[in-house]
Amino acid sequence: MVISPVHYIVAPLLAAFAIALLAKIYKNAARLVPGIVLFYNIIVSLVLMPQVLEKGMISEVIAGWKAPWGINLVLTPFSAFLATSVSVIGFAIWLYGYKFKVRLKGGEVKYYEILQMMMIAGSLGVIITGDLFNMFVFIEIVGITAYSLTAFYRGRDGAEASFKYLLIGSLASTFLLLGILIIYTQTGTLNMAQIAERMPMVPQTMKITALIFFLIALGIEAEMFPMNGWAPDAYSQAPSPTSAVFAAVVSVAGVYALIRVTFTLFDVEGIHQYLIVMGFVTMLVAEISAVAQANLKRMLAYSSLGQMGLVLIAFGIGSHLAVFGAIFLMLNHAVIKALLFMSGSYFIYNSEDKRLVGLNGIHKRLPFVSAIFSIAAFAIVGFPPFSGFWSKFYILIAAGDKNMIILIIGILMVTIIELVYYLRTVARIYFYKDEVEHTEHRPSINAIISMSFMTLFIIVIGVYPDLISGYLHQAADSLLDKANYIQHILK
Amino acid sequence: MLKKYIIFALIAVLGFYLASTFKAIPFGANRLGDLNNPETVSAFYLQKSPEDLHVANTITAIVVNFRGFDTLGEVTVLFLAVTGLMSILYRKEEEETEERLAIPSSSLVRTGAKILFPLILVLGIYVFVHGHLTPGGGFQGGAIIATGFLLMLITYKTFYTNHNVMTWLESIAGLGFVAAGLYGLIVYGSFLQNTAWTGNLNDLISGGLIPLIYIFIGIKVGTELTSVLDTLLNIKPRKK
Repeated sequence: MVISPVHYIVAPLLAAFAIALLAKIYKNAARLVPGIVLFYNIIVSLVLMPQVLEKGMISEVIAGWKAPWGINLVLTPFSAFLATSVSVIGFAIWLYGYKFKVRLKGGEVKYYEILQMMMIAGSLGVIITGDLFNMFVFIEIVGITAYSLTAFYRGRDGAEASFKYLLIGSLASTFLLLGILIIYTQTGTLNMAQIAERMPMVPQTMKITALIFFLIALGIEAEMFPMNGWAPDAYSQAPSPTSAVFAAVVSVAGVYALIRVTFTLFDVEGIHQYLIVMGFVTMLVAEISAVAQANLKRMLAYSSLGQMGLVLIAFGIGSHLAVFGAIFLMLNHAVIKALLFMSGSYFIYNSEDKRLVGLNGIHKRLPFVSAIFSIAAFAIVGFPPFSGFWSKFYILIAAGDKNMIILIIGILMVTIIELVYYLRTVARIYFYKDEVEHTEHRPSINAIISMSFMTLFIIVIGVYPDLISGYLHQAADSLLDKANYIQHILK
Repeated sequence: MLKKYIIFALIAVLGFYLASTFKAIPFGANRLGDLNNPETVSAFYLQKSPEDLHVANTITAIVVNFRGFDTLGEVTVLFLAVTGLMSILYRKEEEETEERLAIPSSSLVRTGAKILFPLILVLGIYVFVHGHLTPGGGFQGGAIIATGFLLMLITYKTFYTNHNVMTWLESIAGLGFVAAGLYGLIVYGSFLQNTAWTGNLNDLISGGLIPLIYIFIGIKVGTELTSVLDTLLNIKPRKK
């Protein structure tokens, strides 16, 4: 059997249905199988990535009906790059969380592992699908798993966060469905390439109405202001590996869906300006809120929203270099924010309360985790030796090319705000007096391996960004070349 | 007070805008065009499902074959909803238990339920086995089966579903669906592809893998919805 894009979805599905049975035979299967599946997805990525770069695009049909008639999966350099990063980070998070909740009895672990794996698989589905309704189905899968995992601890706050998320997520699904309905009545198809081809024939009012539905629905998924109120609650209440998946995988899939729909499907003027303005407002509000947070995970969640805002700004600028920077930032954010959640959760685990006060002087107890957290914090702000620097740098250059001076000033000012709260946190770890009672929970060996691997990635890419910039240039080209996308799929 | 009026006015404007937009869409009109030279997917499906797949019920052909991948996704959504529900409502054995039924049901209800239960199951099975011939199918049949279990659950205090059996049925049905898809991938090179032994139109055994997949869906939906009802109704701690 030749490896093809559908393996990304089929392997997790098979595993999800089989875990319940396997867990009856071998107790640890529920923990092991997701790791095997996610590792298999990395292999799929490694096999498919060179093919995509060579051919420019892979399109796979499902059920034997070719492109406009059936469902198809598309790997462009852009989506293949994101799928690869999601697979690798998904596996790293699994490795990190392998010992997670060991003290829980069998049943709950099984549910947790299935949901976590399917959340990653659903995000992969959103990224690789070439069909609008299929994308809706995968967004539903991500949504359902995310609501359940948010409430996994069954506390009062978790239930509240989950319910909030459920309400706004259902609103997103409904609006997405309405948008798809309008598009379907106007074009008679659900294939994204064919919709893009027929879009110029759609009446302007229909186009705008559908676009508004899509922007609201996918804005919720991509954590765009003002529809992102659910995110900080969900991030802070979910189990820590899940928070890492939210930041690294789910938000990437949300932004991908938003960008794919606005860039490829619609040909409406002014969408770029909208993305810039909304992105900037998202970033500003989120970063200012982050300063005010006393809870570490909430602070990281708001910082995530800020980064997503910057990604939207970069996509909004729309030039090749800006899109290059945006995809680079998506990757950086995924790696670094996952790392921040992973290391940050050890701080929370070791202090009695979830607040920042618990971090005071914690480096004496957790020197390794503290070092990793600090590197990640510097990287996300954009200090030079780390990868976060390059993405921000390219976005600023792209803005400069378009003479968007006010935007540059704005981004730099927001970066200062970002700097304030990250440096404050790092200062707490290293320079504050330890006053709070700490418990001793050393990181497990698998968590150390996973975190070291990701830290290494940040540093290596920071020193040699050329290792991946070739892929990023191809990805940016493929996203901007809409005609090629249509022609390649419908030929 | 003023705030109320402003909100009302905003909703009215939005409603008017949406109503006028949706009014412009000719729902229900025949916009298929030429069936032999299809431009829209609906025309293509109408023409292909009796011709190539030999399936009388076009909806089934769309749900299970043309857009089977979506259906697999929807089945997974249901599966994950059940998994999520169980992860949240899971009760530890030491936790307090409550009675499911405050008032015992009358003998009339109990006798009626006993008679109706097998009939409901048979109807449900009939609906999903004939999914490719008559209206209905896996989802509908599964829902009917679940109503049968609901009837038993709310009538009898002592009626419990066997979780072991449910887990096995659910997993095997899910694996069967994916396996049917993989069969297409391995044999024809496309996931869920289905072109062999399609039989004659209107026969019970026709449409190749379509009836088989719909039976899997029926079993899966039936067990999953029953699990949902059971989890929500059943306050008794689960025996391991």
